[in-house]
Amino acid sequence: MRFIHCVLAEWALVAPRFTRTRLGISLLALGATLVWLGSRGLDPVTVALLAGSLGAILGAAGVAGSDNERRALATALSHPTTALAIATGRWVALTGPAALLVIVCTATVAWRPGIVTAGIVAAGAVGSCALTFVIPLGNATALGLFLLMALAGAVAPERLVAMADPGFVRVAAASVLELGPALWHYRDIATGDVGALAHALAWTGLGVLIARAFIARRRSSIR
Amino acid sequence: MTDYALTLYDVAVRGLRGVSLALLPGEIAGVVGPTGAGKTTLLQVAAGCVHPTRGEAWVWGCRITDANARKFIGYAADHAAFPRALRVREVLLYYARLHAAADPERAPHGLVREALEFAGLGAARNLLVGALGHADMQRLALAQAVLGGRRVLVLDEFLTNLDAIARRDLRGRIARLAAEGAAVLIAARDPAALERLAARALVLREGRVVRAGPLPALLGERVLEVILDAPPPEPPPGFKITDAGIEAPLAGRTVESALAMCRAHRLAVRASRVRVKSLEEIVLETHDTH
Repeated sequence: MRFIHCVLAEWALVAPRFTRTRLGISLLALGATLVWLGSRGLDPVTVALLAGSLGAILGAAGVAGSDNERRALATALSHPTTALAIATGRWVALTGPAALLVIVCTATVAWRPGIVTAGIVAAGAVGSCALTFVIPLGNATALGLFLLMALAGAVAPERLVAMADPGFVRVAAASVLELGPALWHYRDIATGDVGALAHALAWTGLGVLIARAFIARRRSSIR
Repeated sequence: MTDYALTLYDVAVRGLRGVSLALLPGEIAGVVGPTGAGKTTLLQVAAGCVHPTRGEAWVWGCRITDANARKFIGYAADHAAFPRALRVREVLLYYARLHAAADPERAPHGLVREALEFAGLGAARNLLVGALGHADMQRLALAQAVLGGRRVLVLDEFLTNLDAIARRDLRGRIARLAAEGAAVLIAARDPAALERLAARALVLREGRVVRAGPLPALLGERVLEVILDAPPPEPPPGFKITDAGIEAPLAGRTVESALAMCRAHRLAVRASRVRVKSLEEIVLETHDTH
């Protein structure tokens, strides 16, 4: 119960962050853009996956990526909580608005439970991955991850290596797309692919654990 | 060991080489020393933020590295950071929820009310953290440190860069906490900040305590300042040359005998006065003699 209460304490800060920082306006702009693209023919699964993953990256930047938020982690750790509770709480805090964005976008474009599930699961996995980057490295990495997901997230690794001599760089890029949270993979969640779901859940758990380790290291960085 | 609020025994970690101290409930101890002496590291060990590679640290009989220790120790770091988009009461409510999670009998809103009142932040409760001035940021740091009724406070550079009025106000609040039984360990790179607050001082240099003791004993030594018409070519034995003349610790001799020595050296004494040593002089002395 203590762990849950500590996680909920993080969740309670979502509303003020949403209304008083660029997080709220960024998510609204993203949602409006995706709905517009959906009305112009972008398929609903892609809309849901982009809403979830890009919304989660914006969320990670908003709840944990700024210099001030990262320094404030050390102050939070001087209170009776744990790095795991903070990491889990921040993950919940960034996934919640992204999940809401998925629901709104999907309801506007084409409502289907499978698509909504795929978008929300993608939000969890990509958000967890984003946390592991923004906590140690800041918001510049969130921008990089945002562009990567927006531009290359839907590219399947097979397209990079399906040639006679792909070369090291293409093989490495294909490996990143294969192993990392990628939208091409999570499309299949909409059709009930258990492998894709397991991949996303594994990233969610792994990301929170890595974020926990980085948060714990900030305890001694108070200065 | 449980008679002490805070006990550090031979703790060592990067920049800190075997420091021991014990704080009684209600005691205020000041840590002074030049930049790089190890003050912040010592306070981080005392607050449980840094695990010592050698030695042990305890708070109320509980190992400082235990998660439970954070219920007893409040820490205000130098330049403590808080989420800038939140209001003062929201920041404190966030920490209060963590304390209430550890002890469900405590109501978060009650803890916030107490902390706001104690730190004198009632009027600023609805201000955004990003809009706070330095003095109010220090009050917020104090409020979060005392939140939950924590009885050991570790305050790093807490009174630094404050105006005289804010410094007096915060000094009074810390003294009141100590009078109610809280133990306070406070560091300052400006020793003058602690002279009217600490009951005991530890002078750190290169990670070691080079001088320690009750402040009245450390500052008890009297110094004779002699203002001369012209600087002497060489000071009398025991004296050193200053901007205005010479000075020497009285160290058992009388003012008359010290002035007689000046006259014996044919120095034109314009005026003289006796003053007590400052903590800053003690830090400088330890710096010069080690």
